[in-house]
Amino acid sequence: MAAEATCSSGAGSTTSVAAAARKSNITSFQRRGPKAGGTESSGPRLVSIAGTRPSVRNGQLLVSTGLPALDQLLGGGLAVGTVLLIEEDKYNIYSSVLFKYFLAEGLINGHVLLVASAKEDPADILQVGPVSSSRFGHYYDVSKRMPQELLEASKCHGFFLPQKVSSTLKVEPYSLTHGYTKLLQFIQNIIYEEGFDGSNPQNKQKNILRIGIQNLGSPLWGDDICCTENCNNSHNLTKFLYVLRGLLRTSLSACIITMPTHLIQNKAIISRVTNLSDTVVGLESFIGSERETNPLYKDYHGLIHIRQIPRLNNLICDESDVKDLAFKLKRKLFTIEVREFLCFSSILR
Amino acid sequence: MLDSLLAFGGGLVLLRDSVEWEGRGLLKALIKKSALCGEQVHVLGCEVSEEEFREGFDSCVNSRLIYHDLFRDPLNWSKTGETSPGGPLGVLRAMCRRTDPGPTTIALDSLSWLLLHLPCTTLCQILHALSHQNSYPGDSSPIKQVHVLGLLHEEIHGPGLLGALSNLAQTEVTLGGAMGQASAHLLFRKPQQHPTYQTSWFSILPDFSLDLQEGPPVGPQHHSDLHTSLVDPMTHLTFNLHLSKEEKEAKDSLILPFQFSSEKQQVLLRPGPGQATSRIFYEPDAYDDLDQEDPDDDLDI
Repeated sequence: MAAEATCSSGAGSTTSVAAAARKSNITSFQRRGPKAGGTESSGPRLVSIAGTRPSVRNGQLLVSTGLPALDQLLGGGLAVGTVLLIEEDKYNIYSSVLFKYFLAEGLINGHVLLVASAKEDPADILQVGPVSSSRFGHYYDVSKRMPQELLEASKCHGFFLPQKVSSTLKVEPYSLTHGYTKLLQFIQNIIYEEGFDGSNPQNKQKNILRIGIQNLGSPLWGDDICCTENCNNSHNLTKFLYVLRGLLRTSLSACIITMPTHLIQNKAIISRVTNLSDTVVGLESFIGSERETNPLYKDYHGLIHIRQIPRLNNLICDESDVKDLAFKLKRKLFTIEVREFLCFSSILR
Repeated sequence: MLDSLLAFGGGLVLLRDSVEWEGRGLLKALIKKSALCGEQVHVLGCEVSEEEFREGFDSCVNSRLIYHDLFRDPLNWSKTGETSPGGPLGVLRAMCRRTDPGPTTIALDSLSWLLLHLPCTTLCQILHALSHQNSYPGDSSPIKQVHVLGLLHEEIHGPGLLGALSNLAQTEVTLGGAMGQASAHLLFRKPQQHPTYQTSWFSILPDFSLDLQEGPPVGPQHHSDLHTSLVDPMTHLTFNLHLSKEEKEAKDSLILPFQFSSEKQQVLLRPGPGQATSRIFYEPDAYDDLDQEDPDDDLDI
């Protein structure tokens, strides 16, 4: 009985669809979804948020990482609700550039920003100026500044650890989890108060929260995984990432974290951290290594390793076939290329 | 640039020394230079006594040195009140909170001692707070330039601690040497810029002034060979990338199989003298039809 009912309702719905198609003179093969970018108001069924687009593969909502080349390697962009972990290069030059691109992309699109750092004041971090825009993502110039009116119009929440913690603790040393706990509370408050998780359903436009956390795991956050191999509380960072991911999955936010994994002594922690993040990208710069003067590598500034791409609502992930990627940072452009077969290229030149 | 080490910006200067190349002399030379420039110098002495540290300095330098002695009574057993309360942590926090203006130099002798007595994360946070005292908008005092000189015995510590401290440091000076001459390998990390390296040869005079020198005579094995030798891409290949002259000539004179020239045609059509003629031997079978007539004859085309 139930089966017959569903069949008849199914048949009914197909006839009504066919009737509707005949009426509006369109074929059933025409695409009816919202266009990319969501700027045209062609009767969208989904609420489209500025700066996001659905993925062509699985319909996941994506935001740009600020670097079109990286977007392409990650399968279109960073999915909303996920964590992008960047393993820093040794002198933290290129990872901070990617960090700034991510935040600048948020500023351009009008997203709300949350920047957390233990090393420098969050207000000093936003210093990248936009140059040109591509279809989904922009190109930024590190030497320019963001126009002042854009900075003032944007909403940016900063979390600077020495300021947040120094007011409460004066005598004992900072306990290990204190910094992380404070940060998680801060993020949770912002998500709840500004309604990114669906609470406070007012009539305002939905927006994305972009969270950026710099140098997570360094001793300045109160974590000693970078200092010793057998640390006492090696689970602080992994607990933090676990709770953070839970917060992100239930809200419209995307997070970028840079971590100095070259300092972490215990390799097991690095693999746990990789498992707890969604997308992991590692940067390895040639500065200071013997590769800097090696003529085979002279066109590039370093290698980029895509260590993990998430399988969100999927059984497989879009890993690109190419594993040998190198990057170079020119003043206006951060390009990621496949490392040419160096043998032949040196002959042909 | 060893003498202009303290010239640019505030920040942590890490002096890494070892048993063979001691760093206290360089530390005292830098302290003397700051004191003569008119800066206030705070010294946290943990490894040597105050008298031993002050010896060698002349009176004007000594008068500018504010010495915090942690060597005599590090655990505060004498309870006379002379030593600072709170131990090393209290002293460092007090240094963070002081508000006197003007450029200051804080010398920590040594960071290794402090690392053995304090947890690494606390020390890193305090060093960061000390070297960035001018960046907090809370206090209204004018911007002060603070140099923090830390002496670190790199042989005692593991790679994790050394890496964590190098990450914090603005400048890193690694002491080494060759043939009796001390050298300092400098690494300047400016934020957001490429790090720069430099090596200087120096010696410390008895009155703790710095004397920069040329390096020892360089032997025939110069390390710049590394830059000029091209990596040969053919080292591990199983095929040839270049052709030798004879091979090139042979390649050019080769006639392609399907390119017909007249000589080739004649060669193919006329059997040459060297070619053996071929014959067909036929043994008729019992079932074979040996009709010699052409079956197509009755077709009238």
